[in-house]
Amino acid sequence: MVDIDPTELEIAELGPKIKDVDDPDELREMLELEEGGEDRVPVKTLIEDRIEKLEAEDEEVDASSADLDDMTVADIANLVRDIDDVDVLEDMLEREEAGQDRKTAKSQIEDRIESIQGSGDDGEGEELEYVPPEEKHPDLDHPTADKQWVEGLDGGEYRDMWVYCETQHGELIDVSREMLGKARELMDQYNEDYDEEEKVVAVLIGDDVADLTDEVASYGADQILYHEDERLERFNHKSYTEVFVDMARAGGQLAADGNEDVDWKEYDEPRYTVFPATNNGRDLSALVQGELDSGLASDCSGLYIENAMISNPAKTGVPGDSKEFERILHMKRPDFSGFEYSTILCIDKPFRDFHPQGASVIPGSFEIPEAEEEGEAEVVEHDMDLTDEWLEVEVTDYDVLDSGIDLTGHDVVVAMGRGIGSSPTEGIELGLDLVEAFDDAAFGLSRGVITSSYSFEGHVEQYIGEDRQIGESGQVVEPDVYIAAGISGAIQHKVGMDESDTIIAINTDADADIRDFSDYYIQGDLFEVLPKLISAVEEGELATAVAEASDD
Amino acid sequence: MRSVVLTKGVPDFREGQVSFDEDGHLERGKTPTVMNPNDKYALRAALQTKVRNGGQVSLMSMGPPGYMEVLQEGMNDVYADDLYLLSDREMGAADTWATAMTAATGIHQLDEQPDLVFAGFKTADGETGHTGPQTDWCLDMPLITHVISLDVDEDEGVVRAKRLVEAEADEIETVEAPMPAFIVTDPEFEPTYYKASHRLKHKDLRDTTAERADEFGEYIADGSDLDPTDWDRFTMWNHVDLNLDPDYIGLDGSPTIVAGVDPIPKAPSEREATEIDPDDDSDMEQVVEELTPYAAGD
Repeated sequence: MVDIDPTELEIAELGPKIKDVDDPDELREMLELEEGGEDRVPVKTLIEDRIEKLEAEDEEVDASSADLDDMTVADIANLVRDIDDVDVLEDMLEREEAGQDRKTAKSQIEDRIESIQGSGDDGEGEELEYVPPEEKHPDLDHPTADKQWVEGLDGGEYRDMWVYCETQHGELIDVSREMLGKARELMDQYNEDYDEEEKVVAVLIGDDVADLTDEVASYGADQILYHEDERLERFNHKSYTEVFVDMARAGGQLAADGNEDVDWKEYDEPRYTVFPATNNGRDLSALVQGELDSGLASDCSGLYIENAMISNPAKTGVPGDSKEFERILHMKRPDFSGFEYSTILCIDKPFRDFHPQGASVIPGSFEIPEAEEEGEAEVVEHDMDLTDEWLEVEVTDYDVLDSGIDLTGHDVVVAMGRGIGSSPTEGIELGLDLVEAFDDAAFGLSRGVITSSYSFEGHVEQYIGEDRQIGESGQVVEPDVYIAAGISGAIQHKVGMDESDTIIAINTDADADIRDFSDYYIQGDLFEVLPKLISAVEEGELATAVAEASDD
Repeated sequence: MRSVVLTKGVPDFREGQVSFDEDGHLERGKTPTVMNPNDKYALRAALQTKVRNGGQVSLMSMGPPGYMEVLQEGMNDVYADDLYLLSDREMGAADTWATAMTAATGIHQLDEQPDLVFAGFKTADGETGHTGPQTDWCLDMPLITHVISLDVDEDEGVVRAKRLVEAEADEIETVEAPMPAFIVTDPEFEPTYYKASHRLKHKDLRDTTAERADEFGEYIADGSDLDPTDWDRFTMWNHVDLNLDPDYIGLDGSPTIVAGVDPIPKAPSEREATEIDPDDDSDMEQVVEELTPYAAGD
């Protein structure tokens, strides 16, 4: 029995329905019904076309049993184009050899096999041919590759995650600890995902840094490379870079003379490098990655490793193709003053590796790990002669500045956001007055106030600066009471204050993001609300009578 | 003294009209371009050098021809003597390393090599802080970054600078380096003009360069028949002029790519906010109760 009886349908109705019928036998039955009925020619054509189409499809799918002797070479070429299964193709090849054994037919099948195997093999199949720059760009007479600053690798071997541990006054700074913890976490996951045994390698450069190796080991480093020199007591761009790069290249293809064989490293360069996004750490990251002819993302707040599908022809070498790159460090960073997160990848291109994949990390982005007393690491002292020229930039003096404003450890923090925009100076004054009313309160700002070009009058201007910023790139506070006036609550701000015991937000917008992480949400204008709170805190009670009187 | 100042045009973020294409690249065409705000400190440092030590100041940028306006703006600010634009489709979408190679080559191409190169800290769009140091790496000059004050001693051939070191403890270092040197200014940079003659020179320069900038303005004005490259103080170089292999500059020469741009995610709700009407006394009473325990004692 058929589902559709064509004799009961107009041709216009039959057209769309017939597309759902996939069985040629059923269609033949329908054809018979029509012939026994009105026998309409257009209806019969419709059904016959559908039968033909289905049987043609069947033929194509059935390459494994197709009789190649019946087919022309052109037919075979068309057929193999749709086959992705190498076994089927090899079977066809055997049948062709046993049959007519046509050279042209065999080469069609062989080409197809090669292209499938090639593209399955980590994309190395699509044979890109290296063209030397002299040939590729005959109009240029001095290829950039020859300039002194490009000494890269092609097809190099890369392993491990290297962490530059910045120190100050002989101590690790916190971001170094944070990076070690993050690196441990990333590489544990990496080793599991890719079935590898790659290491976290910590790098220490300076004077008296050997004393820090135990502490670095306690945060999970597998290997510690250190370079000590009293001339490196203060950071020096050129020599720190040369030392780091010498370590990174040791034992590899680009190793310096005498460094070709070291017993602590067997690969060309690190797979990943991580630096702190401090003034000196960021500079070092840029210089090291440049010298190693690779790239980096600065000021990252998130890192993870996974494969990446890339279609950018600068990276794949072939327009229109996508290629999967493995083990890619995904570097997330807040961009454009915090409007967006960008994810930056550092990816090899054909004939030029971009490794190590580098990042600098915003201090405070990751947790300081628990120190493990048992931390064991291979400690390697790096030796290298420093050239006098590298030390041309000489630090003749330095002063440690006051540690600035510490917003942590207070009972109360009053923070102001862009809600002060209609009258910035007055807004700041109100915030300061509220701070004054408390026994122990600090005055903070959202990033928005610092980056906006408000013009403040002189007496409050001293309170505007990054040293009062609360949030991801500022200070993290957890007071008993946090008062956020005119702050909308971007996630970067949240991370700086959401551990506070009680959060009181004041905002004119009924739906500001900060509402979701406040305990009290005063929907109102800070210019009206703050004076009430100030007098209430000063008086110890809400000034009901005054408020009512002024309303009259 | 010969100085070169590197500058960049950036989207005017004050307008808040930033837009991206689907590959995550900024759509510059849809956003007005202005001089990178941090570059103004590099300009001030160069201007201070010119006022105090004399000499020639060149302003150089890499970008589309539209950046001529940025250079004109800079000419007014820094009292520059001449302008250079490295401009070529092949240079587009460069990351910091590809930019550094291009800028360094541009500087090498100058007839007379500079005694000082100045660059600003982060750009308002990329915000990496890498281009200055990486350009210096290509030029192989002594590098001083985060400079907040500068003193050029021509007799001894050295620069002395104070630089800001921000890490766990903030420090100010006094450093000295031989020239030629590469200076990256910090946004805290303050020029100093301690002699009356400096202030006179300053005014004098302001007048002559304002005239120059106006002259250039006639070349780059909309509908102008004049060709800006005919102006004797403006030079535009493409990758062939600079002998730069396209595989090493622009997008093709960039190690990094932007894989995605996401809006900052909204913070998940973790607290149940009690809604307070500021005009309702019993509502406000709840808030005040939270605050009074911390009030300043009498």
